[in-house]
Amino acid sequence: MSKMLSGFEFRRGTTIFHKMDPRAKLVYIVLFTALSVIFLNIFVLIAIFFSTIPIVLIARINSKWWQSIWGSKFFIAMIFLFNFVIFVFSPNLNLMSALLTATSMSIRFLALISIFSVFFLTTSPEDLTQSMVQLKVPYDYALTFNMAMRFVPTLSRETQIIMDAQKSRGLEMEKGNLIQRIRNYIPVLIPLIISSFRRAELVADAMESRAFGASKKRVSMFILTLGWIDAAFIIISALGFIGILSLRLFLGIA
Amino acid sequence: MITFKDVSYSYTPGAYALQNISLIIGDGELVAVLGENGAGKTTLVKHINGLLKPQSGSVIVGDTDTKKSTVANLARRVGLVFQNPDHQLFAETVEKELSFAMVNFGMPPEEVTKRVNWALEEFELAKYKEKPPFLLSGGERKRLALASVLSYDPQTIILDEPTTGQDDRQKTRMANLFKQLNSDGKTIIVVTHDMEFVANFIPRVILISKGKVLAEGPTEEILTQKEYLERASLLPPQLVDLSWKLSLSKPSISFEKVTSEALRMLEESRR
Ligand SMILES: Nc1ncnc2c1ncn2[C@@H]1O[C@H](COP(=O)(O)OP(=O)(O)OP(=O)(O)O)[C@@H](O)[C@H]1O
Ligand SMILES: [Mg+2]
Repeated sequence: MSKMLSGFEFRRGTTIFHKMDPRAKLVYIVLFTALSVIFLNIFVLIAIFFSTIPIVLIARINSKWWQSIWGSKFFIAMIFLFNFVIFVFSPNLNLMSALLTATSMSIRFLALISIFSVFFLTTSPEDLTQSMVQLKVPYDYALTFNMAMRFVPTLSRETQIIMDAQKSRGLEMEKGNLIQRIRNYIPVLIPLIISSFRRAELVADAMESRAFGASKKRVSMFILTLGWIDAAFIIISALGFIGILSLRLFLGIA
Repeated sequence: MITFKDVSYSYTPGAYALQNISLIIGDGELVAVLGENGAGKTTLVKHINGLLKPQSGSVIVGDTDTKKSTVANLARRVGLVFQNPDHQLFAETVEKELSFAMVNFGMPPEEVTKRVNWALEEFELAKYKEKPPFLLSGGERKRLALASVLSYDPQTIILDEPTTGQDDRQKTRMANLFKQLNSDGKTIIVVTHDMEFVANFIPRVILISKGKVLAEGPTEEILTQKEYLERASLLPPQLVDLSWKLSLSKPSISFEKVTSEALRMLEESRR
C-alpha cells in the first residue's frame, strides 16, 4: 500500500516532461481522463493506457511508474471481481459479456492510474499550485490541493511506521480469512486518519500564526509561461483526443 | 541475550543507516542508546524485534536468529514502544487499547483484565479507562502507548524516546518503574536524547553516531568524555559540565562525587 503511493510522489527531474508547464499536462490528463471514462471498448482503453508509455520513457520514470501500476494489482483484482459478479447476477446473464465488461473496467482503472501517475510523478506541487492560480482557481483551493499532494509522501511513510508499530504489538496483517484480513487494517487506518487530522489542524494553526489570509492580495515569486514545447504537447494531446473521439462519432465504437 | 554480529542496513543503496554494528546486550541489563538525530538508533532497535532484518550480519535474540523468525513471534518477547504515540493508538477506549496486544497474543481473559488494571494504576490512567485515547493530552497518550506494550509483560522492553513531553514527576515515576522492572529481571533498552535522565538512572550507554557504534560502557565513563559527546551532538549532563568548568581532575555524573571533589579542591586552594 505504501509502495503504491510512492508511485504518485513527485521526484525532481530534468527531462522535458518535468520542465513542461503543468497547464499543458493538465490539458492532457483532462482530455485523456475524459476518453477513459467515455469509452468502454477494450482496445480503445488499451490504446489510452499505451499512450502514457512514451511519456514514461521520455520522463525516465519507469521504475516509479511501475510501482504505481504493480501496486494497484489488488484494486484491479477487486474491480474485476466486483464487476464480474454484478454482471453474472444480472437478469440476462451472458458470461462472455460479463467477462469482457469486467476486463474493460479493470483496464480503464489501469489507464487512469497510469495517466495520473505520470502527471504527479513529474509535476511539482508548487508549480501545480501556481498554474492553478494562473488559471484563476481561488488561492485557497489551489493551496488545499497542493497540501493534499504534498502529504502523499508523508502518508506513505506514516503508513509504514504505523504498520510497524501495530506489528510490534502482535498484529498479524496476513492472518485469517478475507473478512479478518480487512479487519486487520482497522488498527492501521484509524491512527492514519487521526494523525492526518491532527496534522491538518496543526498546519492550519501554524499558517494562521504566520498571517495566512491576512491580506486579500497575494503576490507570486514565479510566473509560469507557456513555451513552444508546451504548445506542441497540447496540440498532440488535442489531436489524440479528437482522433480517438472520432472513433465514436464516425465508427460508432463505444 | 541480544547479539548484533557485524550488522549493516541501508534504506537507500549506498547510504548506510547502520554499518558493521557489533554489540551484546545481556539479560537483565538497563541500557541507553544515545546518538544524534539520524544516527540510526531507531533503525538499530527495529532489528531487535525483527521489523527490520539485517542486510548483512545477524541479530540473535535469546537463541533465535531474527532472520528465521516473524515479528509476531519476536514481539511476544521483545516489546517495542514507538517514538510517536499517535502511530499506534486506535481503540475506542483506553482499556481496549491496553488489551490489544494481549488479545493478539491470545492471553487468557482473566490475565488480560488483571494486567490492564495493573497498567491503568501504574500509569495513572485509571480515570480515563472508558475514554477514547485521542482525547488524552500529548503526555498522557505517550504514557498510554508505553503502557499498552508494558501491559503484556515482554521479557525485553525497548523504548524510543519515552521521556519526551513528560513532566518531572512522570519522568521520575517512569525511571522508578524501569528500575523496578529491571530488578525483576527485565532487559530494558532506552533510546533517548535526555542526558539528565540517562545520567541519573541508567548504568550503561551505547553511543551511536552516523550508523556506527562510537563508544559503549558504563555511563560515567562515556558521558565524561568531551570528544564522544561532541561527535554524537550531545550536551553533557549538567554535573559533567560543571566538573569541566571547575577543571575537576575526575569529572563525574554523581552529585556526591562532584561536590566532594570540588570541596577538596577548595580546601587545597585555601592552604
Ligand atoms: N523509512 C526510511 N526510509 C529511508 N530512509 C530512512 C528511513 N528511516 C530512516 N531513514 C534514514 O536512516 C538514517 C537513520 O535513521 P533513524 O531513524 O534510525 O535515526 P535516529 O537515530 O532514530 O534519529 P532520531 O533521533 O531523529 O529519531 C537517517 O539518515 C534517516 O534519514
Ligand atoms: Mg528515532
